[in-house]
Amino acid sequence: MLVALLASVGTSAGYAQDADSDAEAKILATEHMWGQAYVSKDPKALERILDDAFVNVDSDGILQTKAEVVAEVRTSTVVQFLTESMLVHLHGNTAIVTGIFQLKGVDRGKPYAQRERFVDTWFYKNGQWVSIAGLVTRIGQ
Amino acid sequence: MVLVCATSLPGSAQKAGESDGATAVRVLEGERVKAQSHNDNRTLDLIFDNAVVHIENGEVISKGDYLLRVKSAKPQQQQIVLETMTVRTVENTAIVVGTYRKPDVQGGKSLLKRWRFVDTWVNKKGSWMLVAAAAVPLSK
Repeated sequence: MLVALLASVGTSAGYAQDADSDAEAKILATEHMWGQAYVSKDPKALERILDDAFVNVDSDGILQTKAEVVAEVRTSTVVQFLTESMLVHLHGNTAIVTGIFQLKGVDRGKPYAQRERFVDTWFYKNGQWVSIAGLVTRIGQ
Repeated sequence: MVLVCATSLPGSAQKAGESDGATAVRVLEGERVKAQSHNDNRTLDLIFDNAVVHIENGEVISKGDYLLRVKSAKPQQQQIVLETMTVRTVENTAIVVGTYRKPDVQGGKSLLKRWRFVDTWVNKKGSWMLVAAAAVPLSK
């Protein structure tokens, strides 16, 4: 009886762990797609990733809506987007992702590079993870 | 105490058209500022989720480090003045976006620095817990 109970607890804990790692993997993959949308100037990808009420605060403290972020992607000058040190903190149907992104681009013939820290909030909605908020800050600002 | 406040709210705290959850979070944001100004780590400990992520000055700070910092800070360094705040709830999650002023020292000069912040709260077993808090200095 006890063995059966422990076995059942073990299975349930294992299932929860699998579900968590599955959620983490999906969120990290979507974070990657988000960065690549800037490289491929793909606003449609962002339309799917960002919730309609999404808000972002950029590293100058400027507040951006989903429409503004999507418009930024359309005119993106980014040629390379890499992420590092990403960590997912799951809180049921909500997740917090912290990490650092490095991007390189060319604007009016001038190359530029940025390395900034970000924090994104994700929410599981209608069977998929969507971002509902984000903030970007200069490292060591 | 704070958690009790969040579930039994004074009517005056509620903004027109705002959900009960949003009002509770608004009250907790106020309690958090007050606790920080009084080096009240006990209240902050109740408000912060154990896995809370703080991002300030571009650095990630754990709950333990944040509480240590608040405990040892001079009260005048912790005098946060909330300016604006909007709270949006999505089921058990709340996003708070706003601005505040906080004393700072730059090049030996004391000044008031303005920040924009994004906080994320999650309702866990009936209590709203802060799970992420990030702020960026306003350039203008």
